[in-house]
Amino acid sequence: MHLQRILKSRHGWTRREFLLSTFTAGVFALSGGFWLRGRTGRTKKAETLISKVNDYNADIASVIIFGMKELGVTEKEINGKKILLKPNLVEPQANTIHINTHPLIVRGAAEAFLSMGADRVTVAEGPGHCHDTLRTLEASGMADVLLEDRIPFVDLNCDDVYTVKNKGRYSPLKTLTFPVALRQADWIVSMPKLKTHHWAGVTLSMKNMFGVMPGRFYGWPKNVLHRAGIDQCILDINATLQSHFAIADGIVGMEGDGPIMGSPKQAGVLVMGRNFVAVDATCTRIMGLNPKKVPYLKAASNRIGPIQEKSILQFGETIDSVRTKFQLIDKIPAHKKLCI
Amino acid sequence: MQNKPIAEHIDRLWERALPEGGFSAKIGGNYRPDSTAWAILALSAAGIKNDHIEPSRARLADSQLKDGRVCALPELPDTYWPTPLAILAWQGSQYQREARSRAVEFLIHTTGLHWKRRDDSPVANDPSIQGWSWIANTHSWVEPTALSLIALQSAGYGTHKRANEATHMIMDRQLSHGGWNYGNTVVFDQELRPMPENTGMALNALAGRVSEEKVIRSLHYLESQIKQLRTPLSLGWSLLGLGAWRKRPDHAKKRILESLELQKIYGDYDTSLLSLLILSFFLNGGITLET
Repeated sequence: MHLQRILKSRHGWTRREFLLSTFTAGVFALSGGFWLRGRTGRTKKAETLISKVNDYNADIASVIIFGMKELGVTEKEINGKKILLKPNLVEPQANTIHINTHPLIVRGAAEAFLSMGADRVTVAEGPGHCHDTLRTLEASGMADVLLEDRIPFVDLNCDDVYTVKNKGRYSPLKTLTFPVALRQADWIVSMPKLKTHHWAGVTLSMKNMFGVMPGRFYGWPKNVLHRAGIDQCILDINATLQSHFAIADGIVGMEGDGPIMGSPKQAGVLVMGRNFVAVDATCTRIMGLNPKKVPYLKAASNRIGPIQEKSILQFGETIDSVRTKFQLIDKIPAHKKLCI
Repeated sequence: MQNKPIAEHIDRLWERALPEGGFSAKIGGNYRPDSTAWAILALSAAGIKNDHIEPSRARLADSQLKDGRVCALPELPDTYWPTPLAILAWQGSQYQREARSRAVEFLIHTTGLHWKRRDDSPVANDPSIQGWSWIANTHSWVEPTALSLIALQSAGYGTHKRANEATHMIMDRQLSHGGWNYGNTVVFDQELRPMPENTGMALNALAGRVSEEKVIRSLHYLESQIKQLRTPLSLGWSLLGLGAWRKRPDHAKKRILESLELQKIYGDYDTSLLSLLILSFFLNGGITLET
């Protein structure tokens, strides 16, 4: 029944409908999840969804539509909304697929939101290392996709800004300065890459939000946040900024000395959810790592969202079925004891 | 004097000029000190008369804080990185000598955070060498240090101990295979990658201060990259960096015009990027040598 509703709600996406039909078994199982949720009143659990996607040529838009609907995102909720997609664009390295969020994931997300009735989709990022954002866009392949799909881009490093009280107060920063593009969006979607990180342990949907902080006010790199504490600032940004959804690119992630100098790691998944803490805990487990050992996830637990497996309602694939161990580096302190 | 294609882009730059002086980052935007400084540099290089530029220099002076700093936003005084740009923008103005002197004094008495390197540090560069940071109470990085060094040299402070130490700091951040990035060399035993824009800035700042032999790998890196560059920040700074060492490539102006044409695809560049390309169009050398 639920599958029928999904198919009826879209128009002219025959190829995707075909692809969706391949998910039938999973969909019926997931519909059971919805039923259970509705009957038992366990709606306060954070929900995440794992989809197996083996390569970037898959019909990613359909996977994302499917995931969003399973997670209870309705067309009514998206209709007429201005959506801001925040990928993880770090450095302009051509011919690499493990550093930046893949442009075809961004294309798929844009298609998904537009097909669900979004008024406008914008892609926005403020790279932390490379001041030349346009070169990062070109080298990553993102520029071609955005131009072809006529999706506007905002360089968050250089946008006008607004300053608000730091609601998290995990760090000593009393205020946080954000780009106005965030305030102009109805929905903010974090689109990280599954990567290890040599300072933070892992970089996922929460750490990805470092990239919204404007370089004009935090520097290149965003050293104000480093000085105030990376873990603390991850928590502050996520406690202060209302974000709405995460779509993590784990088709090819990065292991070892992330977030830049590591190696490609095929994980073959997209992970989605509304609660970033829960999404990141799930991603961490998929990477074969223990979220309770990631300091900012541990600190976020039960304040910003849950990290305990029992507190996260898991849709789609099981963690065990997709878990693949991401290599860690012994000499990196943030990697110590991260393994499950 | 100006050929028609670049004149059109200068006209586009003037469209960001504000009635009360100064420039915005984009047409219809608000006043920005950094956009204003960049526009002044570009228009000066293009031979625009001082009379037309002075109102913007005055607006820049109006936004200077008492201690001499010029900030990205006056209400956020930690964001003092536009100060060296203001020094360069005030160069040659008989009306802004006092503002320029105060900005120079601010730079001379301001550093990033510095400390003695610990033996077990995973970061290889020497954090004790003083340079300048983007934002107060953070580390010194290549870009603000290179800009500050260029500004101090332009103001006649090229032999000041801070200028000499900045030279030392930038050299410490040079990657062993050539080039610079934002300012980290080796982290956890891995050498990081160079970036053209940072390399161009560093080479511009170091011209005349170190021997060619000491930066030869960086010059080679930039010469190897330049053919592929077309985005304004990387291309503009790479041309200025190579130009400062008398190695500006052939057809540089054509390359700049091609980069400007990309606005037809990407939309208008912000004022700083547009100005950088106009500046690099008119300067055959680096900023210090000719402004």
